[in-house]
Amino acid sequence: MTLAHARTDAGARRRTSSGARRGPRSRLVSAFWFTLPFVLLLAVWAVAVEVTGTPMRIFPQVTDVAAALREMTVSGDLARHLGASLRRVAVGAAIAVVTALPFGIALGASPKLAAFFAPLLRFSVALAGIAWIPIATLWLGYTDSAVIFIVWNAMFFALAYNAMLGVQRIPIELLRAARSMGTGRVRMFWEVLLPGALPSVVTGLRIGLGYGWRGLVAAEIIASSAGLGYALFLAQKSFDTDVVIAAMAIIGVLWLLMDRLILAPLERRTVERWGMKTVAT
Amino acid sequence: MTTTGARPGHAKINPMRRLRRWLGDNAVVRTLGPFVPLLLFWWLLAESNAFPDAFFVGPDTVLGEFGDLIRKGILPGYLSDSITRLLYGVGFGLLIGLPLGFLVASSFWARRLTWPLLLFFQAIADIAWLPIVIVWFGFSLTAVTFVIVYTIVFPLILAVVAGVEQVPTELVRAARSLGAGRFRVFVEVIVPGALPSVASGIRTGLGYGWRALIAAEIIVGTSGVGFMMFDARRVGDVSEVFLGMIVLGVLWYAVDALVLAPFERVTVERWGMVRQVEAGR
Repeated sequence: MTLAHARTDAGARRRTSSGARRGPRSRLVSAFWFTLPFVLLLAVWAVAVEVTGTPMRIFPQVTDVAAALREMTVSGDLARHLGASLRRVAVGAAIAVVTALPFGIALGASPKLAAFFAPLLRFSVALAGIAWIPIATLWLGYTDSAVIFIVWNAMFFALAYNAMLGVQRIPIELLRAARSMGTGRVRMFWEVLLPGALPSVVTGLRIGLGYGWRGLVAAEIIASSAGLGYALFLAQKSFDTDVVIAAMAIIGVLWLLMDRLILAPLERRTVERWGMKTVAT
Repeated sequence: MTTTGARPGHAKINPMRRLRRWLGDNAVVRTLGPFVPLLLFWWLLAESNAFPDAFFVGPDTVLGEFGDLIRKGILPGYLSDSITRLLYGVGFGLLIGLPLGFLVASSFWARRLTWPLLLFFQAIADIAWLPIVIVWFGFSLTAVTFVIVYTIVFPLILAVVAGVEQVPTELVRAARSLGAGRFRVFVEVIVPGALPSVASGIRTGLGYGWRALIAAEIIVGTSGVGFMMFDARRVGDVSEVFLGMIVLGVLWYAVDALVLAPFERVTVERWGMVRQVEAGR
């Protein structure tokens, strides 16, 4: 995953940097090449449904999906579901960052703690997220907090594990230099450990958010009364496939936006600022 | 004489120290050791009755449940159902993902026209496909397999493309100038060069596929470990939910540690792209 993302990120960087260098024109060109495949896909979709005469219940026409989208927007359903999902992801992710980072960094800073917790963490990463849905709904009921718990849970272990790895990869000379100059624990955390671990932390954030996003959709399908996953499942029950496809498209677009607007810039900034430039070049 | 005289003194200190060193060096102890205090803690927590029995049970109860379900043949049956599904999914996923990946990677136009789509379809969380897949295939094995295949194919394609891009152009040029044909370059330069990235792609893809399997079993719900857990949750049988989680965790941990991680390590070591892997992490 990290490699795949490294590639996509490199692609994004190349595009933006060339866009910056050669002005708005080439940015337009790259935007064109980004959207063209989608236009082609929509065309193929429209023609295929038209030619084969697939009934709407099996696969809706493009226009049906667009109509469904418009209807959802007008009726306010879209805003409601979107708001619910985004709020849950935000709250879950925030709690995960606040809890996992100090834990992971503490583990990374102490070899003994790390040796003890590393196998437990790996085990928990394997289990994180969706497998917790039954027990979360048992403990917290079919509520908002159950869904938030799932998002938190899906992210926590990946984040903590990667924060630990990040700290362990900080060159020992840096730690010694800071220590020999009399750096206190608090300053050590804020000025050496945290920044040094950041590139790895961002990787963990990306993996964790990927798990969390999937966990969110699954948890909403199973255990809630609002949110995109719920909308999806409700529409499926009444065979409104146009709404199903619309909700799927929204889920995809949302993740792409999150990736492009939050994760990629964060990754670029941390890797450029603290990252492994010497290794990468 | 002196040696035998010195022995008893050594023997008094040595066994403990040797035992400790052996414990510290032994891989099995190092991996499984941390689980012992965790189990103890769990048991104590359950014994202290801090939580009601309906929400939280101890390891002894779960163990009893385990023996019970094994005797009745329920757990082996469900487990083999889950694993069969995963194997089908992985098999088809590899069959589709690998060729497609190399196809996309080998042609500039294929990449230009499909890359945005790949990103988008990767972004639609696999679980979001479940509702529409249920409409298409009903509550069947095909539906579950489809979701797993979908989950595995996209990370795999992205990883293959990233891997092929990492193959240094000098190597390809060198092989060509030595008279290797396109096919030979592909088989002997590009495929081995891309392998490390492909291996990590398979690992991530499987990680997602595993989660998708659990979610699909919960939602489609005919058999399997995921179904067992959710069914148990419905009737309020906590011990079975706990048991399901542990089984899932152990199973994935075993697959990851015994199959996937060594495979990745071997390819990385064999094809020696250590430099890039370090950068990618």
